[in-house]
Amino acid sequence: MEAFGLLLHGFAVLLTWKTLLLMMVGLVLGIFVGVLPGLGGPNGVAILLPLTFTMDPTSAIVMLSCIYWGALFGGAITSILFNIPGEAWSVATTFDGYPMAQQGRAAEALTAAFTSSFIGSLVAVLLITFLAPMISSFALKFGPPEFFAVYLLTFCSFVGLGREAKHKTVISMSLGLLLAGVGMDTVSGQLRMTFGSAELLRGINFLVAVIGLFGISEILLTMEERLALRGHAAGISLRVVLSVWKDLPKYWVTLLRSSVIGCWLGITPGGAIAASFMGYNLAKRFSKDQESFGKGRIEGVFAPETAAHASGTSALLPMLALGIPGSGTAAILLGGLMVWGLNPGPLLFVEHKDFVWGLIASMYLGNVVGLVLVLTTVPIFASILRVPFAAVAPMIVVSCAIGAYAIQNAMFDIWLMLGFGVVGYVFKKIAIPLAPFTLALVLGSRAEDAFRLSMIGSGGDMKVFWSNGLVGTITTLAIVLLFWPVIDRAFAGVARLLRPASA
Amino acid sequence: MGQIVKTTAAIAALLLSAPAFAGWEPSKPVEIVVAAGAGGASDQMARMMQAAIQKNNLMKQPMVVSLKGGASGAEALMYMKSSEGDPNKVLIAYSLIYMLPLSAKIPFNWRDLTPVSVIALDQFVLWDNVSGPKTVKEFIDAAKAASAPFKMGGTGSKREDHVLTAFMEQRTGAKLSYLPYKSGGEAATQLVGGHTESNVNNPSENLEVWRAGQVRALCVFDKERISYKTKVTDTQSWNDIPTCKEEGLDVQYLMLRAMFLPGKVTQEQQAFYVDLFQKVTQTPEYKEYMEKQALKPIFLTGKDMVEFLEDDDKQNASLMNAAGFVAK
Amino acid sequence: MSNTELEIVVDDPTAPEENSPAVVSTGVVDVVVSLLLLALALVLGWDNWRTGASWDSTGPQPGYFPFYLSVILGAASLYGLGTAFVSRREAAETFVTRAQFRRVMAVFVPTFLFCLATQYLGLYVASFLLIAGFMRLVGKIALWKSLLTAFIFTAAMFVTFDIAFDVIMPKGPLEAAFGY
Repeated sequence: MEAFGLLLHGFAVLLTWKTLLLMMVGLVLGIFVGVLPGLGGPNGVAILLPLTFTMDPTSAIVMLSCIYWGALFGGAITSILFNIPGEAWSVATTFDGYPMAQQGRAAEALTAAFTSSFIGSLVAVLLITFLAPMISSFALKFGPPEFFAVYLLTFCSFVGLGREAKHKTVISMSLGLLLAGVGMDTVSGQLRMTFGSAELLRGINFLVAVIGLFGISEILLTMEERLALRGHAAGISLRVVLSVWKDLPKYWVTLLRSSVIGCWLGITPGGAIAASFMGYNLAKRFSKDQESFGKGRIEGVFAPETAAHASGTSALLPMLALGIPGSGTAAILLGGLMVWGLNPGPLLFVEHKDFVWGLIASMYLGNVVGLVLVLTTVPIFASILRVPFAAVAPMIVVSCAIGAYAIQNAMFDIWLMLGFGVVGYVFKKIAIPLAPFTLALVLGSRAEDAFRLSMIGSGGDMKVFWSNGLVGTITTLAIVLLFWPVIDRAFAGVARLLRPASA
Repeated sequence: MGQIVKTTAAIAALLLSAPAFAGWEPSKPVEIVVAAGAGGASDQMARMMQAAIQKNNLMKQPMVVSLKGGASGAEALMYMKSSEGDPNKVLIAYSLIYMLPLSAKIPFNWRDLTPVSVIALDQFVLWDNVSGPKTVKEFIDAAKAASAPFKMGGTGSKREDHVLTAFMEQRTGAKLSYLPYKSGGEAATQLVGGHTESNVNNPSENLEVWRAGQVRALCVFDKERISYKTKVTDTQSWNDIPTCKEEGLDVQYLMLRAMFLPGKVTQEQQAFYVDLFQKVTQTPEYKEYMEKQALKPIFLTGKDMVEFLEDDDKQNASLMNAAGFVAK
Repeated sequence: MSNTELEIVVDDPTAPEENSPAVVSTGVVDVVVSLLLLALALVLGWDNWRTGASWDSTGPQPGYFPFYLSVILGAASLYGLGTAFVSRREAAETFVTRAQFRRVMAVFVPTFLFCLATQYLGLYVASFLLIAGFMRLVGKIALWKSLLTAFIFTAAMFVTFDIAFDVIMPKGPLEAAFGY
């Protein structure tokens, strides 16, 4: 029941007019960003981050997380009405959502999408609420070796589980780690890879890289394609909403299954994209009438949306508790935390109770407010798409530049952003994944510091990574994950050898 | 209450007399440059001054805090150096102005900036975990007897905490392993978690964990005890912490907190800021802050300040040299 | 239901033609990127070797990790170079067609000029020029609409950042003339 008391405290922190106002502003901005082509959750959050620099951390995170919820909702609008997934994780939503809209059931599909997003997030928030107090109790067990083991686990899972060509993942990750090392080395106090430049002294900021890699490069990519669109906008009437809600209990298995998948993939760095596809595929496989999927079946909207939101929300747990982002947007929120002077990690739950529980409470409140807001304003947001891209594109460029500049007040960062924009464009086109790069850039120097502090502490003895149960388990798990493809193949080989014998 | 009224009156008097000698005034928002990350001691101090100036109407233009903590603060130093002649930027400096040029070969010399005033001195305290040794003597014995590395936490590498740790090593002959963390807060929680044996954090950095009864204050590295006598924990005030010399460890070390303008500003501009920060030190916000953070009050300007800086520079340089922290 | 339906149709008159010739193939870009990464790996590797890349009494030296990361990056790009030569199929794929390239440049060049203008004229003037210019020249939108939109957007940004949130943006001679 400790969780309940803390949560109430969190609500008390939130329930001021100022925070509620910030929440609304965040949600509207978020939906806006989610609907606009060439933007999306992570970019939107990164660009709007500077707005929060002068706020106190709690207000800042409330506003940012609301931008995030808003972007998630906004992505669903374009997927269903225009067959344009605003985010990779909305792709699965278009399979059945767009056909429904074509059949004139757009309102129904939108209601289903918003409701299931709400349910998915709610399940994930409940999970976070009850796991969070447990985290703070073992928070103090984390010393340098434990931190390093956790970072190692994250990196290994990316190399081992990623689906892209292995050498491209390695390129992306090592490049990120290298750039993370530019500037002053905390452990020795020496400068590295600065080549005598005063601009490189401060290092390469992760957020600047993200704004370039995702924001600018996305505009370049969007321009390449045909921008024409044709869609069905719909106002949602209360009658439709109620009829969809009345049918909800019929789909409880789908909703529950997708929530579980989402939470699991959110906490491990599988991410919302995998979750939405897995949710959709499993719903289809377990359905009695598989043929009707893809032709406008409401379950085909419920399943991916629930999973994507459950995963997007639960990704915040490892971000807060271990300093490891489970998704791109979580990584940007992590960057934000560091800018506000909060050190993410287990100790956050001990040192900044107000902040953590304010955030968790804002997840509940933000989702409720977001649901109402989005249900009432769909036509307005859908019409944003009528604004010509030639007007939207330069505004996005300006917002990106403001975002990049404001982080460190440096003109050099605007050039850096432009450079990363080109890099992002080229990398995306030749299939070098960007996720390992951003992850490495944000965690790289932390991982290195943790390793070197462990070495100083142990007098250079590697056995420190197996010195107790906690750190030993994590390290071993990391190594298993790194070699997972090999292990998997070995298992498959053994199974193949055994099969003829048993048959 | 009476105290506040009195200070307000004093400020009012100062304000009225101000136009008589302040010929120059900033026409743009003034940037207060912090050579550290958000939430650190310098940032908190900058925000306190921002609030004090705003609430007491000490300046017409607003004050904006600008964080330049990149490269352990080197970013801020280079920024100040390149802003020559710009009177709308003030640096809130600490001992890094002597140390960074030595340890990281950064082309910077504090003599290129315009000194305004020294506004406070920060203390260092030797802390250990409550389950550790109870006195300085036991502490040194434990460090000498330790077979595994005896771990001292601190902020940054080749900086105040590290120099002080090396200084202690020289005086006691014990072998100490220094672990550089990113912030004093991190060093504090790592001490509580038992991942380090001890640290030499500033009072403000360990305040919360001290009040929670998780760490013990062994001694303070100054000639005299801290003056604040209000109880901070259930049983102790800052004044109850003995000096290290009393405990048989003759090590003294203080860190300056001073304000600088960029080089090549006019005397009138310098005078404006000297006056401004003098007024700041008389506000209730400043006094409250000093006590809360257990800072040592001091106010030096002009020749006194330069003399103080030269002495302090010499002491730090000799300590850095002795510890082998000076880059070749 | 159908009474609440409203159709939204946006057309794109400047869409790239489908059958535009390729400027460069993916295979060539793959090779060029691999070579650039290799060069970067060599430069960074050399710099870190100079910093010190061995293992001393207190664990790795500052250059240790970056040095070996450069080695890994170099090896991975060499491998990429190898596969790019071996796999002919991917090599033939189009990286970008001429029509697409023209459109990408239509965004990239103004963005570049915007950054340059920000450096000398300040962000707000540059932003006004970018939005108005882009809308007029690339989007072929009426001049008054372009100027008005650019002005409103730039003014809104100025009020939000510089005035309401105290986030100071780079400024140039125009703002200085107004005393900012």
